[in-house]
Amino acid sequence: MSNLWNKILYHDGRGWWDLPRTQWQEPNPKMEGPLGDGITPIKRIWEITTAANLHHGTPGFYVLIGAILSIITIVEVWAFAWLFLGALLVPLMLLLSLGKFVLVVGFFMHLKFDRKYYAWIFTACMVIGIGIFVALLLLLNYGGQVQQ
Amino acid sequence: MASASTTYEIKNEYGEVINTSTGLSNKKLLMWAFLGSDVMFFGSFIATFLVYRNRSLVGPYPSDVLDIPITSVSTFVLLMSSLAMVLALAYVQQGRRKLGTLWIFAVVVLGAIFLLFQVYEFNHFVKVGLTPRTNLFGTTFFILTGLHGAHVTLGVLWLMFLGFGSIKGTLRADNAIDLELAGLYWHFVDIVWIVIFTVIYLISARDVAPPGGMPWVPGAH
Repeated sequence: MSNLWNKILYHDGRGWWDLPRTQWQEPNPKMEGPLGDGITPIKRIWEITTAANLHHGTPGFYVLIGAILSIITIVEVWAFAWLFLGALLVPLMLLLSLGKFVLVVGFFMHLKFDRKYYAWIFTACMVIGIGIFVALLLLLNYGGQVQQ
Repeated sequence: MASASTTYEIKNEYGEVINTSTGLSNKKLLMWAFLGSDVMFFGSFIATFLVYRNRSLVGPYPSDVLDIPITSVSTFVLLMSSLAMVLALAYVQQGRRKLGTLWIFAVVVLGAIFLLFQVYEFNHFVKVGLTPRTNLFGTTFFILTGLHGAHVTLGVLWLMFLGFGSIKGTLRADNAIDLELAGLYWHFVDIVWIVIFTVIYLISARDVAPPGGMPWVPGAH
């Protein structure tokens, strides 16, 4: 009887009111996740190249970023020379150059690894700079016309 | 009424003791503030170029003079100089002096090659008849790319100075902040060129004479 009582009210020696330990309280088991073990090699490469927990990346990581920048530049020139994109040319070029901009600022200038305050300063100045840029374009295009 | 301010000593990532009221390296903060102001500086000139785009009434026009293959090579050279710069900093921070020095001078050489491309381009443009006084395209083009070239020149001189410092042993892992600041400046010059290359060379390269503009005849100046 006592055994049945224990089976009803207790589980693994703990009372029913004591919620079982959930997975988030435990270290992740190996091969856990939607992609199984497939993500691990990529994660490992990322950890090696970025030298996780350090302030900066490793030389190998920077070479990887340099290669990506080169590929984007080649794509830009190829798209300019061989694809006649018409109205799509400007947005595509701006998008690709934005990608290069982010890579250089984030990794080569170490904003990704550095204190967030520097990123805030630069972003604030970028916002003001873009504001000046847009204001100049609008003013000089529409602001100087003589009213008849 | 006296205002209270708190300053305290911290060690930066190089172990250097600095007095700060922000908790940040003063040198690096100053450099980021300067780069922020330079964003606005170049933003104004790029905006001016775009405002006057397609408004030149006499040639040469962008499609007559811009040479994309050559500028693509010089753009690639500047991108690689940024890679060399970040490698130089990584090696100096690790205390690997010879490799650090080598990469610093690689940046200097690549920067100098970029400048030679610019000198060649300017010389070619003047020969075909495009000067800062020829038309609006000439004025805005030479001012924008010339100011960028001046920044590159300053960067090359700065890095040369640091390169010799590295040879002499005055640039070490514990004061690599000096190289990091030069690196921030150099990468900034690179990102400005990324924008200039896109806006002037790729987006505007096919611009021809606008309505009312005189077609340009080579050799007629």
